[in-house]
Amino acid sequence: MTKVAPTRPTGSGPGRLLVAVYGILALAATARGIYQVATKLSDAPVAYLLSLFSGVVYILATIALATDRRRLAWVTVLVELVGVLVVGTLSVVDVGEFPDETVWSGFGAGYGYIPLVLPFLGLLWLWRTGRRAPDDVAAADSTDDDGAATVG
Amino acid sequence: MVVRDARALVNGPAIGPVGWGLVILPVALLVGALCVALAAWAAWFVAADRAVVLRQLWGGAVVEAVLVVQGVIAAAVLATKDHDVDAALFWGYVVVQLIVLPIAAAWAFAERTRWSSVVLLVAALTTGFLEYRLWQIWGVS
Repeated sequence: MTKVAPTRPTGSGPGRLLVAVYGILALAATARGIYQVATKLSDAPVAYLLSLFSGVVYILATIALATDRRRLAWVTVLVELVGVLVVGTLSVVDVGEFPDETVWSGFGAGYGYIPLVLPFLGLLWLWRTGRRAPDDVAAADSTDDDGAATVG
Repeated sequence: MVVRDARALVNGPAIGPVGWGLVILPVALLVGALCVALAAWAAWFVAADRAVVLRQLWGGAVVEAVLVVQGVIAAAVLATKDHDVDAALFWGYVVVQLIVLPIAAAWAFAERTRWSSVVLLVAALTTGFLEYRLWQIWGVS
């Protein structure tokens, strides 16, 4: 393992909150997907399987961000972004194919549009933690405990 | 449904949304109040730039204890009274609501910055919102 430049961990600082929100959405989407698939799969198989799929994507994104697996985080957050945009558009344009039954329907309107905002925040966070300007590294070396309040 | 009719014969007429609500209303209000209190406590810590402290985790444990009591009451009512509650949906929410706060609290406690308190704040609000959703599911007859 040779790291060219040190990257900030994705699960600390503001990342703590990001992971927490991802985790809550993972729970919500997965629970919803399992419920739909288990009780009424034949009603709308595509929508319900998509619902379960979105839950799995959120679970993977949560784990990736929490454990600093940057590549998996990039992939899952991008899949999530494509998912919410495609399913959101389809649900608005063609009501027949995609009933309002997934987290991504209506661009996440049923969840306060958090599913729409979250991937952008995730990408921004991955980009910000992934790059570090040379002077930034030097500054971080001198003041290592910047802003970290230690409260027991 | 056949099963439901048979149960109605054994247990008497189905309780409507009002009767159901009277059973669960005090618990739901208590959970809501506790969640708001915990959220306010966390928000105060966010403003004060402090991380979550152990005492707040005990606060979360009190919420969890009430949630367990709520689950037992709900199970007893669902088992003994005829009802129109979607059991799978209901228990799904119960389980999710039970696990949000402990996981989030552990995740928050490992962080020693103000973001720790933001996580607890979000978790407390989520638990309160899930209580509201449970209340809606209860109310639907």
